[in-house]
Amino acid sequence: MATNLNDNEVSFVPPFLKKIFEYIKSTVVWKSIFRVGYPDTMPKRMAVMRSSFYMHIFPTKVGVHGMKIKYGWCMGGITFFLFLLLTVTGILLMFYYVPEEHRAYNDMKDLRYMVPYGVVLRNMHRWGAHGMVFTVILHMIRVFYTGSYKPPRQFNWTVGVLLLLLTLLLSFTGYLLPWDQLGFWAVTVGTNMASSTPLLGYEGPFSKYLGIQIDNDIRFALIGGTRIGPNALVRAYVWHCVGLPLIATALMIFHFWRIRKDGFSGPM
Amino acid sequence: MDKENEFEKRVSRRKFFNIAGWTGLCAFLGSSSAAGARYFYPKVLYEPASTFNAGKPEEYTAPTGNEVIVVDERWKKNQRVWIARNKEGIYAVVAVCTHLGCTPNWFPAEVRFKCPCHGSNFNPDGEVVAGPAPEPLYRGKIELAPDGSMIVTTGLLGIRRANLQAQKKTLGVFWTQDEKEIIWKPPYFLQLKA
Repeated sequence: MATNLNDNEVSFVPPFLKKIFEYIKSTVVWKSIFRVGYPDTMPKRMAVMRSSFYMHIFPTKVGVHGMKIKYGWCMGGITFFLFLLLTVTGILLMFYYVPEEHRAYNDMKDLRYMVPYGVVLRNMHRWGAHGMVFTVILHMIRVFYTGSYKPPRQFNWTVGVLLLLLTLLLSFTGYLLPWDQLGFWAVTVGTNMASSTPLLGYEGPFSKYLGIQIDNDIRFALIGGTRIGPNALVRAYVWHCVGLPLIATALMIFHFWRIRKDGFSGPM
Repeated sequence: MDKENEFEKRVSRRKFFNIAGWTGLCAFLGSSSAAGARYFYPKVLYEPASTFNAGKPEEYTAPTGNEVIVVDERWKKNQRVWIARNKEGIYAVVAVCTHLGCTPNWFPAEVRFKCPCHGSNFNPDGEVVAGPAPEPLYRGKIELAPDGSMIVTTGLLGIRRANLQAQKKTLGVFWTQDEKEIIWKPPYFLQLKA
């Protein structure tokens, strides 16, 4: 009977099951999905990385030296992991949250007390958000102190700064969504700061030359009105769940591409 | 004949279509961007009306003895405005801190409005005496209804400072002389016989 075990490996699969597995693996359907067989030889292991959509972000081989934690502390990876976690928990939270001013806070309380495991989801989302801000700052510090912003990586650093800005904006828009005192006043203060922008804000310098008033400045565009209300909540929700994640994803794709293209800056 | 050839040398048919094509594309992109930016500014706002009936002036106690001012807080929660009465008359102070928009609190013992967010202090006239606020507290308009009750309008944050005076002057934390001419007269101030 054909076997795909090496000499030292032990299998507890009973023979009849093994037959079924081998039949499945010989079908055209299986082969069209999994193009490389079980990665039990070095060329096959490299081929799996190269031919997989999700895995081909990695090099086919990484030296042991390049894996040392002390070089990067994995901060970039942890940040990306938290982003994925926030996306998944966020989508699940969306089933029970409606961004309407009279029910948003109650929806949040429902998630905590009425929804099974809602408290875990909501807490993971909130703590994950704080964690992502913290780890992205650590990542930035690491990149700075290892000089990984120097040529040819300068533009990637710029993209990283933009990603930092997006992370903070995601935190800011998400903070308003529970529609509690904390979020409401935080966004009041933050958007009133926006109205001090030169030229674009109605309280900023040079605004009068463009005829900027309270109802046509940049703050008006951000919150969809003259005061924080139902419009502001919906806009924060759309930016938080759709707009900012899409922009962040696009930038992250470029960020990772550049990292792979430029390689690790230390010896491999 | 010569003129035609010269023109063709400057702008050939190929170049003309090139320019026309790029112009068309840029016009399309430009107008789409402008429309996209305009999309974010709604034409109608459904914000609650900020004009309300505040009752008759007699319902608000006048300052007695050494008191300079009595500030009534009954409309602070729902309409975000204080009705202040001094010895000459009555006026409406919009309860929005001019720094970054929090709601200040009135401390009668210290005769000050104090904002809890960043510590701005305002005197009863609304002028800034401490803290980061850049302008005095805004005023609401008071009009008298036929039955003698006050119709208070806080509008778009009451009166905007820039509405009051010529744009060229630098505005500070105290009311200027010109502004004082305005805020201590109707419709921003209701004169009452003591």
